[in-house]
Amino acid sequence: MGGASRSEKQRRQQAANQRLAAAGITPRKSGTGGNRSALIVVGVVVAIAVVVGLVVAMTRGSGTAPVAANYPVAVSGTVVTAGQAGAPVTVDVYEDYLCPQCERFENAYGDEITAALNEGKIKVNYHATAILDQRTSPPGYSTLSANAGLCAANAGIFPAFHKQLFDEQPSEGGAGFTAAELVAKGNALGAAPGFEQCVTTNGNAAAIAAATEAAARTPSLTTNGQFGTPTVAVGGQKINLNDRDWLKNATGQA
Amino acid sequence: MRQGSARALDVIGTLARFGLAGIWLVSGVLKAADPDQTYIAVRAYDVLPTSGVAVVADVLPWLEIALGLLLLVGVGTRLVAGLSAAVLLVFMAGVVQAWARGLAIDCGCFGGGGQVAPEETEYGLELLRDTGFLLLAAWLLVRPRTLFALDDRLESRPVVRSGEGRN
Repeated sequence: MGGASRSEKQRRQQAANQRLAAAGITPRKSGTGGNRSALIVVGVVVAIAVVVGLVVAMTRGSGTAPVAANYPVAVSGTVVTAGQAGAPVTVDVYEDYLCPQCERFENAYGDEITAALNEGKIKVNYHATAILDQRTSPPGYSTLSANAGLCAANAGIFPAFHKQLFDEQPSEGGAGFTAAELVAKGNALGAAPGFEQCVTTNGNAAAIAAATEAAARTPSLTTNGQFGTPTVAVGGQKINLNDRDWLKNATGQA
Repeated sequence: MRQGSARALDVIGTLARFGLAGIWLVSGVLKAADPDQTYIAVRAYDVLPTSGVAVVADVLPWLEIALGLLLLVGVGTRLVAGLSAAVLLVFMAGVVQAWARGLAIDCGCFGGGGQVAPEETEYGLELLRDTGFLLLAAWLLVRPRTLFALDDRLESRPVVRSGEGRN
């Protein structure tokens, strides 16, 4: 009696297992969870993927150690010139403080550029550029921050201020920093008197708009007629920023 | 007759597996090839702090490639389908929150991403597409048996030992 019911149970269990097997599901045996070897393979492959991602990230960031800026800065119109006037290579940089690609550019090459400036290998013309005024609400952060960058150069804090605005870059679609917030950042960096008034009056706004227009119409600064930020030119020719060695090539140290 | 329909279901499952594998591999490779763009795309969702954005942007492409490879060879199909569904649901949650908050971004699902003009958003289409991918994952979750899968070799066919099935 007992034996008959047991074999009946066994038969049913077997039939159920066969149906599951047809669907590709291994029935769990009490105590073990699913298929061990497949679980291990999946775990190992996913772990490798995570490690590869982190290693790629670290090797990308370790180009140069952070360096303190130690170079002269001069202002002419809407252009901040960093580095010694007699430097052999001239780099022109067109950036919008709201542009995420510009933040990536500074993140990737900022320290390398600072080192080259410190060593007198290059000078960099930072062109105040505003193309994303409509991407904040209220609009106008691009121009406000570009003007503040010029004020920072006159106030003797350009390298640190420029770096900080990219490190703390506000999101597109948000409000951006207000004039008061920009003033506070500059003052915390030790801006010379006059910085606050320079930022709040936004006196270079018209000149920045004109300079941006002019850059957008300069063929050597566009790709297929399109001008964007960041645009970087070496000796007047726009360079391809996908080339990670662009600066080494420019200074002849490939 | 019954065997024939099981065979047809196997074929459908196999197509779902290769389809989902292709989707992960293409989207993963496109993201891995342009890490800066991937960073910008992740950042545009405006959910994570800067350090979190960097980690997600660095790891996500390789995770997608891993899921694609596992599906391609057919190892742990059911588990990988479950992981795929989980990742897809996270993606969809990201798109939904962007839509609900009125952000204007491209999902960056297959490379690209970041801010777009408000009239250029395609949240509905992106969610519809992700739903389709989710269906592929759901099929494999429910019925992971497919053809040309390494699972067949790894898996010991269920053997019912005597004495089992008690209680």
